[in-house]
Amino acid sequence: MTAILEAHALGMRYGRRQALTDCTLNIPPGHVVGLVGPNGAGKSTLLKLACGLLSPSSGSIRVLGNAPGSRPEQLARVGFLAQDAPVYPQLSVADHLRLGAHLNPRWDQDFAERRVAQLDLDPAQKAGKLSGGQRAQLALTVAAGKRPELLLLDEPVASLDPLARREFLKHLMESVADNDTSVVLSSHLISDLERVCDYLIVLVSSRVRLAGEVDQITAAHHRIVCTRRDPDTLPAGLEVVSAEHTDRQSTFVVRTDAPLPVGDWAAESLSMEDLVLTYMETAATVRPARQDSEVTR
Amino acid sequence: MIWLTWRQFRTQTLVAAALLAAAAVYLLITGTQLRHSYSADLITCHSSSAEYTCAGLLNGLESDYNGTLDLFELLVLAAPGLVGIFWGAPLIAGELERGTHYMTWNQSVTRTRWLAVKLTAIALASIAAAGIISLLMTWWASPLDTMSGNRFGTQAFNARNVVPLGYAAFAFALGVTLGLLLRRTLPAMAATLAIFIAVQLVVTVLVRPNVMPAIVTTVPINQTTMSQALRFDRAREVTGPVTIDLPAPPGSWNLSQTPALNSAGQPIQTSEILTCWNQMISRGPVAIKGSGNAPFAPLGACLAPLNLHVNVTYQPADRYWPLQWIETALYAVLAALLAAFCFRRIRRLG
Repeated sequence: MTAILEAHALGMRYGRRQALTDCTLNIPPGHVVGLVGPNGAGKSTLLKLACGLLSPSSGSIRVLGNAPGSRPEQLARVGFLAQDAPVYPQLSVADHLRLGAHLNPRWDQDFAERRVAQLDLDPAQKAGKLSGGQRAQLALTVAAGKRPELLLLDEPVASLDPLARREFLKHLMESVADNDTSVVLSSHLISDLERVCDYLIVLVSSRVRLAGEVDQITAAHHRIVCTRRDPDTLPAGLEVVSAEHTDRQSTFVVRTDAPLPVGDWAAESLSMEDLVLTYMETAATVRPARQDSEVTR
Repeated sequence: MIWLTWRQFRTQTLVAAALLAAAAVYLLITGTQLRHSYSADLITCHSSSAEYTCAGLLNGLESDYNGTLDLFELLVLAAPGLVGIFWGAPLIAGELERGTHYMTWNQSVTRTRWLAVKLTAIALASIAAAGIISLLMTWWASPLDTMSGNRFGTQAFNARNVVPLGYAAFAFALGVTLGLLLRRTLPAMAATLAIFIAVQLVVTVLVRPNVMPAIVTTVPINQTTMSQALRFDRAREVTGPVTIDLPAPPGSWNLSQTPALNSAGQPIQTSEILTCWNQMISRGPVAIKGSGNAPFAPLGACLAPLNLHVNVTYQPADRYWPLQWIETALYAVLAALLAAFCFRRIRRLG
């Protein structure tokens, strides 16, 4: 099967600001992909490149085997839900479903109506009068109702309260479960995505820091605590992700695809959240200057 | 796409249709009244022998309807601007502002098609609205236009026949383009208004008089020609130029008045005509009035030996329709260029 998303040295520049740098990815199909990174890391840019709203400044990107976005067939295969779930305030809920039905050849009206009923939305209600959570659900219904093979969601739960977040993700999973739809959803909080993702991409300061299946990533990373030492003295094959030193003790987060060798240290596994935070922190210390140039898009 | 266009544009269409209908009813009623009075006045004219009464009657009719005429001309002139502001500017800017383009452009319809349907549908609506209001205006004002004989006046030309259609197409395309460039509805609306007015001014003042080479005729100054003169001006100083306004042929568009020239083509000095001038003045206001409708005829007789002439520059009456079509085509071409720009630009928009 073709990859969900294949990027090679992908770069995007807005004027003088580099939003995405040298991004190389190959996401196999059938995954729910979490795209995590701080605000301004380039998550939205990557998703907009993937749905064809933006064209890359450099490098190449293929989505489901094709160039993103410009032809109707490709548009039909990829659904996109933008940040803050924009809807037409003057149009009713039913009008939004009609919009989907008129603009998509594979529109699933049964599914859309069923979901609107499940969500307890009044079809005659103007979308401008919906709550944030309801609006996000409506936008998701329109995006999922066209039955895409890949659904891209940009910070779908950022503006929702915790209960609405849980509801939204539950509905998202239900919507994509019966169709083998692949999903990429972004968030600046790993805790939002932990429950639903089986593939993870960490994007910091416009660069991909980590990408892979969640199981493999957690299996490959370890935190080791030992007497104070230089990272260079660790055995070969251990890639040091972060190092912290006190007077007598060193703490390393290391990555190895082979089993962790036995040594004079205490080893423990990391939670997804710890792992992602580690990658974000190291990026921040490596390039502190980047921090002030970050802009939320 | 057509459904979506209609659904989003429904309210504006209904509002415009209601306004048009109200204007149409009022124009039809007053227009019929105007026609009745006009034909009644004409009958009175023909039955009475005094020409003076006839002119008075028609003048009265003209002044009765002048206020309404100005109001409607203003409406016809404003209609394209309103179309540009309220239909053109928000078309793309409104989507960008609310972020709804993220939803619409990610359905299975390309942006090019989205824009093509929206532009075509609403441009046609704009042109139709301008066409209807211009048709009503032209019909309503035709008795007044016949009386005034001035079809080239700025308001009369800009608010009749086909040019309003071109204006509407252009204003709409301009609004869409500025909305796409500025990405905000309100600034786009303001810029649309400003640029539309500027283009209208430039075209009216600079393009229209020159787009077809004007005709220049040389009229000698003598008793016959001066009996037609509208104005005779001398400078305060004896060295200043002398200006004589002579009428262009009936129904034509008089573009410019040149100073009185001598046989060598040089402007004459006031000192050269002082003798004749003083002669006219010395006969006093009674004498001038007594010469009927041609107060300057005796002056012309006095000036004839000086062998003076003036150049009258004008667009003849039969250029009315060519000028209407050329201007409509010009605006249509501008609108098409703007639309083409929008198609190019929208593909690269993020």
